Amino acid sequence: MALGPFSKQDHVEITSLGIEFAVSVVLGTWAGYVLDGKLGSGPWLLVAGAFAGFALGFYIILRAAKNMSRADANLKKAEKKDGRS
Amino acid sequence: MDVAEIISHHILDHDWGVTLGGLRMPVTTHSVTIVAVSVILFLGLWWVSRRHESRAGRLLTALAEEYVTFIRDGMVLPNMGTEGRSFLPYFCTLFLFILSVNLAGMIPEMKTATSNISVTAALALCSGGLILFSGLKFHGPIGFLKGFVPSGTPGWLVPLIFPLEVVSLIIKVCVLAIRLFANMLSGHMVLICLLLIIFIVGNMHVAAGAGSLLPAMGLEIFMTCLELLVAFLQAYVFTLLTAIFAGSVIHTH
Repeated sequence: MALGPFSKQDHVEITSLGIEFAVSVVLGTWAGYVLDGKLGSGPWLLVAGAFAGFALGFYIILRAAKNMSRADANLKKAEKKDGRS
Repeated sequence: MDVAEIISHHILDHDWGVTLGGLRMPVTTHSVTIVAVSVILFLGLWWVSRRHESRAGRLLTALAEEYVTFIRDGMVLPNMGTEGRSFLPYFCTLFLFILSVNLAGMIPEMKTATSNISVTAALALCSGGLILFSGLKFHGPIGFLKGFVPSGTPGWLVPLIFPLEVVSLIIKVCVLAIRLFANMLSGHMVLICLLLIIFIVGNMHVAAGAGSLLPAMGLEIFMTCLELLVAFLQAYVFTLLTAIFAGSVIHTH
């Protein structure tokens, strides 16, 4: 099966990136909400938690993109085989 | 006809109301399914593991060996390396258990226990425990914590990166549970909704209901086949992702 430059493992990881982003935003917002309820600090921690979760989601995606070194190596191998590079 | 009630009856867990000495026992449709599947798997695999002279017995033994080879060469060794060899029994159990519980939902009178978030959360906790244990086993507590920070990170970034990495690992384990749960739940919800099309349309006019019979049943058969595929796929993905995460903890950059 042609998987392009990505390995099977990369594909499985890519499919989970979307849920990971959503879960990190929800988790951050929820943590802010709980802390707000405990400290009584209005909506501010909720907003901060949402932003922190958003940042975490982006961090996860960027790191995954960087870590796809397997994909890079496979791409180089494929290019060499085709005589491109 | 209350559609919401029918759907929730189809999807949700049901307490059988068994009490023992005033204590409510956790006997529900899902727990009974899990216990039944576990007992069948245990007895069946125990039977397969013995020496057999009969043709069927030898065939099943060869099949079990093939299965273990598939898990070992397809998931554990490529992702965890030779260090993963000692965890092979866990992955074999995990795949077969999730697959059997997923498929049990296709049998009448049985429920898909993996469409309950508590079940998938427990499975993900087991996998998270394995990831934690493999990190501690091969790197020790200090090395395990060090492994969270990628090499080459500037010193002032470490307090920022470390919590991010820890939380992202926790999120990955949460996602394992949510993915299996959502896939199984949505599949079964689609199955019951497609069946309900007939009755909803039939409420408007009997002839319309009869007309929608064939298309709805065609879609139902198609979705059932798709559900069979999803049962295999999700068991595979759950096991493969556990191996990938454990491998990323063992082989830190």
